[in-house]
Amino acid sequence: MRLPAIGPFREDFWRSPLRGPWLASLLSSALLPLVAVCAVTGFVSHWAYQPHLGGNAVFGGSAPGNGFDVYGLDWPTSPAWLYVATQGLHVVSGLAAIPVLLAKLWAVIPKLFENPPVRSAAHALERLSLVLLVGGSLFVFSTGVINIQVWYPFGFSFVPAHYYGAIVMLAALCLHVGLKLPVMSAAFRQRGVMRPLREDLQHTRPEAGLPGVVTSAPHAPAAPTLTRRALLGGVGAASAGLAVMTTGQVVGRPLAELALLAPRGRGRGDAPNDFPINKTFSAANIPREKVGPDWRLLLHVADERRAVLTREELLAMDHVTAELPIACVEGWSTTQTWTGVRLADLARLAGVPDPTAVEVRSMQPRGGLRSATLGRGQVTHPEGMLALRVNGADLSLDHGYPARVIVPALPGVHCTKWVGKMVFA
Amino acid sequence: MRWFRGHYGAGPIHLLAVLATFAVAAYALSRALDLTGNPDRIVLWLGGSIVAHDLILFPVYALLGAIAAGAIVGSKPRSRLRIAVLNHLRVPALLSGLLLLVWFPLVADKGQRSFMRVSGLSKDVYFGRWLLITAVLFGGSALLFALRLRRLTR
Repeated sequence: MRLPAIGPFREDFWRSPLRGPWLASLLSSALLPLVAVCAVTGFVSHWAYQPHLGGNAVFGGSAPGNGFDVYGLDWPTSPAWLYVATQGLHVVSGLAAIPVLLAKLWAVIPKLFENPPVRSAAHALERLSLVLLVGGSLFVFSTGVINIQVWYPFGFSFVPAHYYGAIVMLAALCLHVGLKLPVMSAAFRQRGVMRPLREDLQHTRPEAGLPGVVTSAPHAPAAPTLTRRALLGGVGAASAGLAVMTTGQVVGRPLAELALLAPRGRGRGDAPNDFPINKTFSAANIPREKVGPDWRLLLHVADERRAVLTREELLAMDHVTAELPIACVEGWSTTQTWTGVRLADLARLAGVPDPTAVEVRSMQPRGGLRSATLGRGQVTHPEGMLALRVNGADLSLDHGYPARVIVPALPGVHCTKWVGKMVFA
Repeated sequence: MRWFRGHYGAGPIHLLAVLATFAVAAYALSRALDLTGNPDRIVLWLGGSIVAHDLILFPVYALLGAIAAGAIVGSKPRSRLRIAVLNHLRVPALLSGLLLLVWFPLVADKGQRSFMRVSGLSKDVYFGRWLLITAVLFGGSALLFALRLRRLTR
């Protein structure tokens, strides 16, 4: 059934000579690896939170029927920059994909208005799957981009929605790739993969479309005002620009100077505690007297108290000093020199010479992520520590004074600050 | 098989693949809706993002582009100079618009309170930085245009 041929439903409404299956295919070839890297690193980040341990699961947990919620493997501690790399890649590849995604949507948008709108049952189902693909992609990218800018207008919880939204997108993407591979290979056979990139403006011809396939190639093309090379170069430049500006907040100085529009790329001076904060002391709502001279670290095994330590006693113990990065799920990191007591030594003090896990609790009274459970690899690592000092000075209140956890490759939010209690197992 | 193709419009593998996709997507969507207090907001955001792109963002930038192209090169672009003017305007405009779109919460100061709470910093530097980058983009484009001008008018 045809719709009346008015406005965008008219075949000659879409006039850009650059649109067509070749352009869509080339953009897809760039988009697919970016989305693949972004998806893999996203699932890796979920794994890095070790949702199978203690109360770590941000959603769901290990109850039966929770499907993809829990993987069950401990997260490695080496290399120390592992989470910097995976989460940096996640955010950088996601941002770099945005210009390509927008260009791809521009290239194929005539097909949104194809007429007749439905040619067969198969075509109707395929178009329904495109609602999931386009809606899922826009949903996942928009929530991710807004979340790294610390704005929460969604009204729903970000983590499960972003996570399961990605699975909706990826399911529809797998189908789309499977169905469109023949079109892509036909378009590349017809015009060559790179040949159209060599055409100057005089030789920029409209795409012809493919026999037997409804494509976005124009029926009444206008004269070109831009070469394909320039269009794709512009998209690539936008993508690379976003990537470089964001890499500045992943790796810090000296690239941080380029992170002009990255939310966490700002330097904070040169004093020992002048590095980015993820939650200020005032945001944690901890009463001031709890971090004063009366602060005590409680070491437990289950409900049984095994040791109580003052900060002076901790400072008098054997120390480890290590230069380690701490990386945020939002894709930024900072590397500092931390000094503290080995978690393994604290386990021994608690009477657990061979610890398998430790649950670290912050003194923060309310809110998510105020406790984290670390696995055997983390609690026994020689550089896994309860840090007391950073860069030769006491931790500042904003960085977790009196004591915080620092473990190689551990996601930043699991490096619990303002530690009050540790429960060993 | 021919009967199936005639009625469905594709082979049986197509149908199986589509059904498998819908099953996984429906499961994932139901998990997302189960795990949040406001499932209707997820549906709203999902549908809203399609409307926001396909029926607002795309028509707006396409229309602005068409107006600029009509005013500068007309319907039959012949002059290389006029085409160059158009491109030296729309490329920086698109790049600046993209930066505004991606970093809108920073540039427009959205979520100022939560940002201050977690980072101890304010967001008020970003609007100026975006303006500065926009100025550099247009300025750089103008400079390149000036350098190309001699070749274009020859």
